[in-house]
Amino acid sequence: MSIFIDRTDRVLVQGITGSEGSFWTRHMMDLGTQVVVGVTPGKEGQNVEGVPVYHTIRRAVSDRPANAAMLFVPPRNTRDAVFEALDSGIKKIVTIADGIPLQDAIQIRKAALSCGARVVGGNTSGVISPGFAMMGMFPYWIERVYKPGRIGVMTRSGSLTNEVTAMVVRAGFGVSSLIGVGGDPVPGTRFAEMLPDYQADPATDAVVIIGELGGTMEEEVAEAMLSGAFTKPVVAFLGGRTAPAGKRMGHAGAIVTGGKGSVADKIEAFEKAGALVADRPRMVGELLRQALGSTPRK
Amino acid sequence: MKLFEYQAKEAFAERGIPVPRRRLCTTADEVAGAATALGCPCVVKSQVLRGGRGKAGLVKLVRSIDEARKYGTELLGGAIGTAHGVKKVLVEEAVAFERELYLSITVDPQAATALILACADGGVEIEELARTAPEKIIRERVDIDTGLLPFQARNIAYALGLDQKLSQSFVTLLMGLWKTFRDKDAELVEVNPLFVTRADAQGVSALIAGDGKLVIDDNSAFRQGGAQPSREYFDSDVAFEAAKEGIPYLQFDGDISLMCAGAGLTTVVYDLVNYEGGSVANYLEFGGPNYKKAVRAMELCLVNDPKVILIVTFGTIARADIMAEGIAEAIAKLRPRCPIVACIRGTGEEKAVETLKAAGLDPLFDTEEAVRRAVVLAKGARA
Repeated sequence: MSIFIDRTDRVLVQGITGSEGSFWTRHMMDLGTQVVVGVTPGKEGQNVEGVPVYHTIRRAVSDRPANAAMLFVPPRNTRDAVFEALDSGIKKIVTIADGIPLQDAIQIRKAALSCGARVVGGNTSGVISPGFAMMGMFPYWIERVYKPGRIGVMTRSGSLTNEVTAMVVRAGFGVSSLIGVGGDPVPGTRFAEMLPDYQADPATDAVVIIGELGGTMEEEVAEAMLSGAFTKPVVAFLGGRTAPAGKRMGHAGAIVTGGKGSVADKIEAFEKAGALVADRPRMVGELLRQALGSTPRK
Repeated sequence: MKLFEYQAKEAFAERGIPVPRRRLCTTADEVAGAATALGCPCVVKSQVLRGGRGKAGLVKLVRSIDEARKYGTELLGGAIGTAHGVKKVLVEEAVAFERELYLSITVDPQAATALILACADGGVEIEELARTAPEKIIRERVDIDTGLLPFQARNIAYALGLDQKLSQSFVTLLMGLWKTFRDKDAELVEVNPLFVTRADAQGVSALIAGDGKLVIDDNSAFRQGGAQPSREYFDSDVAFEAAKEGIPYLQFDGDISLMCAGAGLTTVVYDLVNYEGGSVANYLEFGGPNYKKAVRAMELCLVNDPKVILIVTFGTIARADIMAEGIAEAIAKLRPRCPIVACIRGTGEEKAVETLKAAGLDPLFDTEEAVRRAVVLAKGARA
């Protein structure tokens, strides 16, 4: 059981002939993901890992229908690639691109919202349900991080995901589904928008939120908890408590603006909503035990 | 990339936004000449990227040509200017105003729109005001594709309490600001203060952009001319050198130099160093596309003469074994005198451990342990 992506999804890979595209296509398939078709303009007739390549999505899906698109496309071409996928009616899109122009990101999210599609990213490793399937670039073979289990994880940071998820696994738990919403100021999908999926997922007992300073995504999760829309336990880990004001020292999204988005604000919102907040990566495992009882469910 | 005030005002003027009469100067003689041409009193403003110029003594209302020349000398060759790296000054006519407004355009990430913020109390710290009196801030969301419509500008104008005539000018001005936001791929355009001038003999007042801030989205640089920013946009030579390499770099004034991979992890390592009572000298992003640049990254770390170099990575695409090889090469070439604490994990980490050991390091696997060791070593070096 997983959310966003499972083995029944038929995935199209944009930019499949590039080095990252072909490398991660193989790993997505090795994990069990159904990659059915690839697209790279000018490369029709080739195949990558046995997956046929077409010039355009329109040509690709007329031969081999797909319901999800994985983009290995440079940031400056990402808007074009996302709109191409939306144009063919694809509703699940993941883009790893790091460096999407800000105003393009606004257009991408607006388009996704208006046609009921979900775009995850950019600036993310993607989405994975360990043991089942993934869209993205996760070294799922590193067992001490990507062990299957019953904890949902949502994160703004790829590097921090490994760090924190390793602590979840060390505490005896594993991961049900991990959604990397990405570190950009305008992610295509926000934390709170994935909560209904985790709420409905019988394979998820609790959710770990890996957040950081800047923006209001963490506060939106707290609001969903307070309103009763999300009722499973939440453990939050937040980076940037001691970050100096005004310096952009991490993700573009990680800067305090408009008087909103400090880590202190986020902790206050989470605690008011009943989430447990870890101040060090190691504490995440301990707090999960506290939230769920001492023995992890198998 | 944040532009200088004179560049922002140029962009504003090109799009029909009223700005004060002004001249850009690089010598004290030019400052005196500008004061003569514009008339005194006039305002002499240092062109630096930091905020709070007024408090730092970098902006001054001068009452005579002599005073303009004297202040110009202090800024462009004297102690005040040198300390702040002043290379250019803007001389502007002094504007007699009766009100100061605030106006900006940025994005609303949740609604996926642009967002205009306006306030009748300009000239103040808007972030502070947003916190203490959020009801005073007027917000108008603008569809990025449809663009700003006149009714939205009118909504704001009347909410600001402008009269009929000024409201019309405001609509034109805001249209110009919108055009600037879109044309320049800005993440922020801001006019603070936006002056409402004192009424003239006919009882007519006008709007003039007193200051201008224009921050261009770095990710859009490729379609904004793509020029590499020159030295004047950076605080230090090291920051400039790092930017040329495409390596994110920040300088602080502590003991430990961070070479970390990943923005999120770096932010947390910074937190952990502070929790343990340590302090950070500088930070270099040693991940993503830079993971093969260990030698250059360590060279830049050493410029600040840190007590310890702390390397923390958890690389997947940026492979641990290749990062470790880079570190070994950097140690061989640069022979740093300070100790190095390395915690390099991820793809190929078994091989990375061997490489680091061969280079004389004692590799760790736990971030918190690595931070503790670095802080202890830094304190030892200090004692």
